[in-house]
Amino acid sequence: MSKVFSRRSIMNAIGGTAAAAGFFRPGTAVAKLKKDIEPRGSNGTLERLPTLDLDSYDDFSTATRIWINGDLTRASEQRAAEILKSHGVKPTDKVSFEDTVRWVADDPIIALRSASWQRLQWHMWQELRREFHGNFDAYMSELEAADASGPGVLELNPGIEPEYTKHEIHMQPGGYTGDPFAGHLYHYGTNNFYNGTNHQDQRHTALAGAVPVPADGKVRRILDMGCSCGQQVTALKQRFPDAEVWGIDIGAPMVRYAHMRAVDLGIDVNFRHALAEQTGFPDGHFDMVTSYILHHEVTAAASLQIVKEAHRILRPGGVFYPVDIYPSPTNRSDHGTAIRHVRDWMTHRWNHERWWNDYLTTDYIGEIARVGFTLQDAAREGVGYPMVAPGGPRNPLGIKPV
Amino acid sequence: MAETKGNRPTYATDFITTDIEKVTFFGNVHIDNMMTTLLAMGNELWVQRKRQHILEALLAEKGVKPEAIEKYVATPAQEQAWAKERDVLVARLWSHHDKNTGEYNFASDWNGK
Ligand SMILES: C[S@@+](CC[C@H](N)C(=O)[O-])C[C@H]1O[C@@H](n2cnc3c(N)ncnc32)[C@H](O)[C@@H]1O
Repeated sequence: MSKVFSRRSIMNAIGGTAAAAGFFRPGTAVAKLKKDIEPRGSNGTLERLPTLDLDSYDDFSTATRIWINGDLTRASEQRAAEILKSHGVKPTDKVSFEDTVRWVADDPIIALRSASWQRLQWHMWQELRREFHGNFDAYMSELEAADASGPGVLELNPGIEPEYTKHEIHMQPGGYTGDPFAGHLYHYGTNNFYNGTNHQDQRHTALAGAVPVPADGKVRRILDMGCSCGQQVTALKQRFPDAEVWGIDIGAPMVRYAHMRAVDLGIDVNFRHALAEQTGFPDGHFDMVTSYILHHEVTAAASLQIVKEAHRILRPGGVFYPVDIYPSPTNRSDHGTAIRHVRDWMTHRWNHERWWNDYLTTDYIGEIARVGFTLQDAAREGVGYPMVAPGGPRNPLGIKPV
Repeated sequence: MAETKGNRPTYATDFITTDIEKVTFFGNVHIDNMMTTLLAMGNELWVQRKRQHILEALLAEKGVKPEAIEKYVATPAQEQAWAKERDVLVARLWSHHDKNTGEYNFASDWNGK
């Protein structure tokens, strides 16, 4: 059985000394979050889901998802290969997207894979929603109490959300902007997406650890764009305890949750409800700008504009580190192949990644060089964080020339 | 626009709803819906088993024998509360059957709206 203890007691135990690996350095003004809802305590840095039933429900969903992503997906891809073969096509052949989808869509195993994925996810969102909306007053009071607490600043700017940001990506009810508890839903929902391997922000900690430091070693201010629940923001603060760290997101409920979580952990980081393409920060303000899986969720125009904005707000010598699922979607060697079409179709259509096709055809990596960064093509130079699999393609980064 | 509930701002906006709840993957919406039910059933089953394991472990620590569980007689208040909970479970398992219209097709509506 995993040990259950309060996150706050971890912070207090660590006291003012350097953080133990995996845990956070406490912020300065540690005031217990008022109206904290934590009926089942915490497991490390994650509050346990508030009821045993929901926790077990989530646990079984994760297990089912692992089966879908593993055995069932392999069976589905095997079927796709057989069907393609019957049309005289190899999975690695370049054929049209329309043909590929027309050939494979009627297969029951391929349909089962998409259907079970989609329906399981639907259940998960519904169950989480039932908890948070079913106890609306309590959870809203908790958010309101956190809004007014520190450490760290929370800035909300209602009304700034462009239409393209209002889709229900991943079928999340209300999307990132439209549900008052979008942050709660996303945090627990994505724990499930990570097959249970990110409960202690392991992925975010690894990413924060991989960001290259500017050549002069100065890291005073850091911005994480599209920060969702702020897991990378707190991980960056852990790595750079003396830096002022900001997270921005277009979902106001996302940054409210991120702020609440940081306050509860006693970590002094700041959140602003803002667009990555128009952050509102002054020119040359940051030493590092990061993002994690943001670019594939915005339009082509926004994706390019975000690169320009990062260039504007970074100081000379500053580092831009946008991490995404495929580091260079427009140059992928498997781009346009039959098997990629099958996967892209499932991602775009059945995981409701609304802007996936924009992502696949937008050269935002090339844009890093075009706006004036020195582009380090990590895919060749072997630095950066491997996104697809260990040893697989790595992320590029931009350095603003001095 | 940011919405309010009562007099409290929720900072939630309007949003664009996905068509994903109106899809049939198997050409017959009832088959799709049955699968949705079965997925929920699996989850529910595990929810109960997990609780059961915890309870039985705790009870054993306190010396409660399995026969005592078998012979237990519920009070009317318990019966009422449990019936309410049972009805929520029915809704959870079946409520989507009358909502998914199956108007979009897995095979031909692949590009979405
Ligand atoms: C896949 S999530 C990113 C995950 C997150 N970076 C993490 O560390 O877990 C995408 C996030 O980007 C936000 N987003 C989408 N478009 C945005 C934009 N133009 N500006 C800022 N945030 C945006 C969404 O609200 C959402 O929270």
